[in-house]
Amino acid sequence: MKQKILLIPLVLLIALSLVAVGCPVPVDPVEPVPDPYPTRPITLIVSFAAGGGTDIGARLLVPHVEALLGQPITVINVTGGGGWVGWTRLATAAPDGYTIGYLNTPAIQVGYLNPELANPHNLESFSAIVNHVFDIGIIAVRADSPFMTMEELIDYAVQHPRKLSFTTTGAMGDDHLRLLAIEAAVPGAEFKAVHGRGAADSIALVLGGHTDILAINVGEVVGLARDGEVRVLAVSDLERSPFLPDVPTLYELGFGPIVNYSARGIGAPAGVPRHILEKLAEAFKRGMMHPEHVAAMEKVGLALKPILLDEYYQFLKDEEIMIKKLLGW
Amino acid sequence: MEEWIVFRVLSLVFTWPVLTAMVVGILLGILVGALPGLTATMGVALLIPLTIGMDPAPAILMLMAIYGAAIYGGSIPAILLHTPGTPAAAATALDGYPLALQGKAASTLCVVTLTSTIGGLISGFALLLLAPPLSVWALKFGPPEYFLLACFGLTALASLASGSMLKGLIAGAFGLLLGSVGVDIMTGFARYHFGLVVLIGGLPLIPVLIGLFALSEVLMISETAHDKKPSSLFVKGWGILSALSDIIKDKMNVLRSSIIGIIVGVLPGTGADIASWIAYGEARRFSKHPERFGKGAIGGVIASEVANNAATAATMVPALTLGIPGGAAAAVILGALLIQGLRPGRELFTVHAEMTYTVMVGFIFAKIFMGIIGLLIVPHMAHITRVPRGIVAPLVVALCVVGSFAIAYQMYDVWIMLIFGLLGYLMRKFGFPPAATVLGLILGPIAELGLRQSLVLGEGALLAYFFGRPISVVLMALIIISLLLPLIRRKRIGQSSEPGIGAIIE
Repeated sequence: MKQKILLIPLVLLIALSLVAVGCPVPVDPVEPVPDPYPTRPITLIVSFAAGGGTDIGARLLVPHVEALLGQPITVINVTGGGGWVGWTRLATAAPDGYTIGYLNTPAIQVGYLNPELANPHNLESFSAIVNHVFDIGIIAVRADSPFMTMEELIDYAVQHPRKLSFTTTGAMGDDHLRLLAIEAAVPGAEFKAVHGRGAADSIALVLGGHTDILAINVGEVVGLARDGEVRVLAVSDLERSPFLPDVPTLYELGFGPIVNYSARGIGAPAGVPRHILEKLAEAFKRGMMHPEHVAAMEKVGLALKPILLDEYYQFLKDEEIMIKKLLGW
Repeated sequence: MEEWIVFRVLSLVFTWPVLTAMVVGILLGILVGALPGLTATMGVALLIPLTIGMDPAPAILMLMAIYGAAIYGGSIPAILLHTPGTPAAAATALDGYPLALQGKAASTLCVVTLTSTIGGLISGFALLLLAPPLSVWALKFGPPEYFLLACFGLTALASLASGSMLKGLIAGAFGLLLGSVGVDIMTGFARYHFGLVVLIGGLPLIPVLIGLFALSEVLMISETAHDKKPSSLFVKGWGILSALSDIIKDKMNVLRSSIIGIIVGVLPGTGADIASWIAYGEARRFSKHPERFGKGAIGGVIASEVANNAATAATMVPALTLGIPGGAAAAVILGALLIQGLRPGRELFTVHAEMTYTVMVGFIFAKIFMGIIGLLIVPHMAHITRVPRGIVAPLVVALCVVGSFAIAYQMYDVWIMLIFGLLGYLMRKFGFPPAATVLGLILGPIAELGLRQSLVLGEGALLAYFFGRPISVVLMALIIISLLLPLIRRKRIGQSSEPGIGAIIE
């Protein structure tokens, strides 16, 4: 009996080493040994500081996933390099399913696409497990701004190029990409891009009247819009946000299919066995659907959008194509 | 109605969950603050998961108590070991440590406890009474004002150069250079990263700080570690009364530093660390004995500690009213607020007014408790200075390594700490003040962001843009006065030992 139990790790070890050397795993039609994964704690790398949006989302989700996997998940914050210190650590970790991490779009793609950075990694360095949060971008102005609609704003920008200042949360971030997408969609419209260090900077600049246009995400603007501090003119999606049902989309306003968002989900190093990825995807998806988590995210104004495995990989790939086009890389 | 809410809030503050949360927060905060590498912000972030199941008032109050107490706790190792526990305590080390070396560790800790409490209390009252007008005023600070404020802070470089003014400026310029490492905010171009991923986001402040201050000091004291004397004199006894009289004698400094702390704290994007540096610089400028600063002037310790604590509750002002955090720790507390399902903004003062006022009134009581707990425990820690240097030195090295590693569980930070430790040692050997480098590193990125944004916004009419803004004009005047003041004084007194900017011009 004891001998038989010892066989399990032996088979697993052999299987894992085979994967590691890149050999095709022999396909066994009848799986005799159920995979015991996970048998020890899992590390979840968050590439941004403790207490930030990604970190809070992770810490709200993790307890529900731990309960399903039966193993603790330790969240560690590996910060720096615009997220790439953490992602480098994730990409180079052992592909055994015990190191996973949050992938933030578009920061992750910009980090490996930017030729300046000569990043040795790319999307193929990761396995995609499941998307978690999908936060659509918005365009807003201060409540006392003369611009009542998106059309008025754009008309003015066409007639007075480089007159209006467009506040972004960082060069090459999703809000900057939204600006580039709008400028590409409307010939002649030109804005002064003022880049900052995050949503808090942008909000302070616009509320203080120092800049004209606020470009942040739905989750960051809901409270300001409700208090009447800002007027949201458009959301950059194909359909309206449930959090801002009265705000039109750029698509319905005739700007073309501009879909612009910041998204984050769970990934792992490339080469993690498929069944482990599936197990993780299932557990994380069920954790996200836990009523408590759904309620918590709704309170924060963040949209849950679980996209699984291959579909999630394709989602990340599509974003890569879009960024390449907008930034000319 | 008004009285009713006062009684109601007081009865909510004095409930067991709220009181427990406060005391736990204070104790944890002092601990987190005293450990280098664990900053106030991280302390707050680490405790967020714990608050998820709690009621909003005790949850937020506990986090604010941790933040306030950590800023206070950071000064303990700054004074005893020249190791700022948090970046906000770096300016405290400048005079606190020399005081400890003179055997006044216990009385200095006592002064720090009282001044931290005073700064925190003033900040708490500012939050309670002035939150809405202060936040409106804070928004008036735009890119030109941030640029000029950072420049004004940089004029404090003159106060840090104790020997040669030129060496002080070189050390400061080196800090500015270090601050330019990392991705360019406006273009996304990565500067001076030498192919290292860690450097793309800029030099991490905390390992640099630990290296420049703590490790370099260990190397300095190691030179004399072979003599088995304790690391400093130890004067027994400390009195609250003598500490109080020190503070009362310096009441203008306390007042000025509280105002600086509140202003800098309320501004989004600047926090306790910058407040303490500016207050330190101003304290020296206004002092009758500026030459004593850096050699053990209690006024420097008072300025730094009043200001960094005065910034604590102030950073919550724009966070609660507008959802714009006044600093990194406030950003984390804001996150906790969101987790509780509370959106910052008007609702906090209408629908959830009871919770909000409980937190704000609770913070004031938390400061009083912090003072009491601090006086009971902290001055006794001065006994650390009786331990022989040969024992203290390796312990501090261990603390430096663990502290740097704990920031993000990565060895890079430890290497950075070691490199800057060595660099700091060499700088001190050759008379370059490491504090000036730290000041440059902290203020450089803020000045750069402000200037670069101003250049875009003032496109074509830059002078009109800068001079058309009242706060900007006031700040420019302040900078000019602070640069010329030493020159004028020099002319008047004839001969002065104060190294001013004039020392270079001549």
